[in-house]
Amino acid sequence: MTLSRRQFIRNASVAGGALTIGFSLSGCSEQQLPKQNAADFQPDSYLRVTPDGQVIAQIFKAEMGQGVLTGILSVLAEELEMEPASMRYEMAPPHPAFGDPEMIMQVTGGSNSIRLYYDTLRTVGATAREMLITAAVQQTGTPASELYAEAGRVRSRDSRVDLGYGELVATANTLAVPENPPLKQAADFKVIGRQNDRLDAQAKVDGTAVFGSDAPVENALVAVVLRCPHAEGSCGGWDASEAQQLPGVEDIFQIDGGIAVVARNYWRARKAAEAVSTNWQTGEAPLQSSEDIDVAFAAALEGDEFEVVREDGELPAEAGARTLSVEYNAPFVAHATMEPQTATAQPMADGGIEVWVGNQAPDVAQAYAAKGFGVGRDQAIIHNTFLGGGFGRRAAADNVYEVAQIVARVQQPVKLVWSREDDMRHDFYRPVMKARLRASLAESGDVESYTHQIVAPSINQKIMPHFLNAAMPAWVPHGVKSAIGNMQADTDHASVEGVADTSYQFPHFLVQYTNLQTVMPLGYWRSVGHSQNAFVIESFVDEMAHAAGRDPVEFRRAHLPENSRHRVVLDKVAAMANWEQPAAGRYLGVAVHESFYSVVAEVAEVSMEDGRPKLEKVYCAIDCGIAVNPDIVRAQMESGIIFGLTAALKGKITVKDGAVEQSNFHDYQMLRMSETPEIEVAIIDSQAAPTGVGEPGTPPAAPALANALFAATGKRQRDLPLQLA
Amino acid sequence: MSPETITFTLNGQPARLEIEPDTPLLWVLRDELAMNGTKFGCGRGLCGACTVHLEGSPIRSCSLPISAVAGKAVTTIEGLSSAGDHPLQKAWVAENAPQCGYCQSGQIMSAAALLAARPNPTDADINAYMSGNICRCGTYPRIRKAIKRAAAEMAAAAVATWEPGQDADAAEVLS
Repeated sequence: MTLSRRQFIRNASVAGGALTIGFSLSGCSEQQLPKQNAADFQPDSYLRVTPDGQVIAQIFKAEMGQGVLTGILSVLAEELEMEPASMRYEMAPPHPAFGDPEMIMQVTGGSNSIRLYYDTLRTVGATAREMLITAAVQQTGTPASELYAEAGRVRSRDSRVDLGYGELVATANTLAVPENPPLKQAADFKVIGRQNDRLDAQAKVDGTAVFGSDAPVENALVAVVLRCPHAEGSCGGWDASEAQQLPGVEDIFQIDGGIAVVARNYWRARKAAEAVSTNWQTGEAPLQSSEDIDVAFAAALEGDEFEVVREDGELPAEAGARTLSVEYNAPFVAHATMEPQTATAQPMADGGIEVWVGNQAPDVAQAYAAKGFGVGRDQAIIHNTFLGGGFGRRAAADNVYEVAQIVARVQQPVKLVWSREDDMRHDFYRPVMKARLRASLAESGDVESYTHQIVAPSINQKIMPHFLNAAMPAWVPHGVKSAIGNMQADTDHASVEGVADTSYQFPHFLVQYTNLQTVMPLGYWRSVGHSQNAFVIESFVDEMAHAAGRDPVEFRRAHLPENSRHRVVLDKVAAMANWEQPAAGRYLGVAVHESFYSVVAEVAEVSMEDGRPKLEKVYCAIDCGIAVNPDIVRAQMESGIIFGLTAALKGKITVKDGAVEQSNFHDYQMLRMSETPEIEVAIIDSQAAPTGVGEPGTPPAAPALANALFAATGKRQRDLPLQLA
Repeated sequence: MSPETITFTLNGQPARLEIEPDTPLLWVLRDELAMNGTKFGCGRGLCGACTVHLEGSPIRSCSLPISAVAGKAVTTIEGLSSAGDHPLQKAWVAENAPQCGYCQSGQIMSAAALLAARPNPTDADINAYMSGNICRCGTYPRIRKAIKRAAAEMAAAAVATWEPGQDADAAEVLS
């Protein structure tokens, strides 16, 4: 293999359907391919074929339940002409080749994995397939026109050639990479659009799936960490003399971020941690309690500090036939992944550190492992495991920084385990938000003017230091770092997304934003700004429809572009839910929202039992372009809806003295099976390129429910969480 | 608290260890015996991720001290079937139930206890038995389907192995 050939595909990424060379990865051209093995046929970073015939894909995106592992294998297998289930996979290490073309780092997020890599993975599969066929030409003398790939083999039409891919590896390794391998026609697809079975399911039903604290490390000690409960607070002293005497305790010491308690097992570590006395101090940051935050946000809503994010048309000189002015509120919410934060690490003989962790940004994890252990990044090995839920929480690597510091001190294998209380109180929360909505409607009921003012703290301003201070990959060009840093200064799109970029057409349309920070750490929570903003805009559009005396579906259609995907999913979901004539005693609410390049409409169906509303069913229609794995798309809609409903009905984190007041599932509750509605999903038939799936199901869930509750009770709820009383 | 010798049966095999008797079964399984299929979710019996069977009944292993297990039989996800092919495990795969997978060991152990008690569960039975198990990925609708699929398979298997006059109990499974 020549360097230039490797470099070609390693740097290849796809923009707008054409294969292009990705951004310059300065300094990485000398680097080996991920899991490089000279005996294997490895035309690029994503794939290798071993001489004994194993075709092994690198899972370069985090598998956190969204099904990306199956998606990657499906797209590769399609062009490789093999069964996805017959491929093998490895969780990819952090590697510059896997830097996300949009997010720079090796991040899994933004529902972009299949959208961004669909063409790349097809090209990778087709390249390997064509090279293996060429290898068969050389080995057998049979012309290429007589050969074809099938079931992981190269065969000839006259059946005289029948070679497994492994038998072609040595020859394939001598070949040049073809520049434009032919991609299959959609009509010939055998896998894409048909592969429904999850390829990681068996490991997840027999207990063998490995998560961060299941690492195959022998004789590991277990660590827990005491952290200051007050956000941006400090430690004014601690005493572990009593705890140190307890059975099984190995060591208790301070690290950057807390006090580590290391013991023989989790229980001994937890008992010892309870015996450590601490003197935590609150910090100096403003807005440390939920009450103060609400007062300050209300004042900001009355103030004139707003920046104009978008303005179309002009404010009409006179108010219309009807006017509305209302206020909406959303609280902080936690991710509450089922797996609390965990990580396992051990020192290596060469002076480096090896970490097992399920993380959405393994290069960030690598940087924090190196920083915590006090070595260079090339001496920090990250084994990315399955993630016990991500939802944005595991883009941070606070757990990796902790475990690396602990291993640096004890110089033995350590499993770090956060308790549920640790996880609930030290999250990167979805921000609190207050909004004022104003509208002026014409006699016809059409919107003349729509104003949407948002007061919310910027997520990026809060979380970027976590990435930038230590963790931005060293190979990221300096200009890119500057650009990301500048995001702190400009409008945080995450605060206004779903509103500023809505497809609704209003003659006068004004979006304003004020960034008001509190003490609380913030992060990306499944669908990010869309999750609150869709609740507000889709509830308020419903309010406008009712004020105008018009049908909520018709009213939406009237203000959405003709031939838009929005109208298609709206019409579909209305038909599914029998919108025109709901069953007796059933009340319907609708919402439609575009996020992550997909458009989703949902209808919530509510009944009344003893004067109390009960959520019976949710109908969902999604346009996500080509659905690579249709049943996984359906599962992600179910998942996103239940995630959205959980927050809509239960999610509220409150804060006092900078400390989170909730602690576990008794005071921060989750939707249970008995509360979960039936869910019916339709996927719009499409040949367009794939768009997002992991997040777009979430935003419409809360407003669809709120609108159904209004239909059932006549009471408009504008504050999350919603009440079912 | 001083360590004591505790013996119990784990997935049909004898287990014996020196351990402080207040240590919850979960941490004995995970930290002492390297049985990692059982998961830690909340530590307070609120989420069901740590569900195992004690003498056939579902319990939350995060909240059960090992002293209460002495002399008894524990079954974990690793011991539910010999090859990961219990009808529930097959049904879970067939329905694409798992997503992140973290809660599923506990879900399956709760479901196995449900089917042992109620071979042909109603929706209300399923809700009542399974609502102690939280899933953050929202796999509940598929878990419901998978339980019904497994129940049907187990009932069919009972018929297939039943010979007239041989085993009157098997026929009752269908009723």
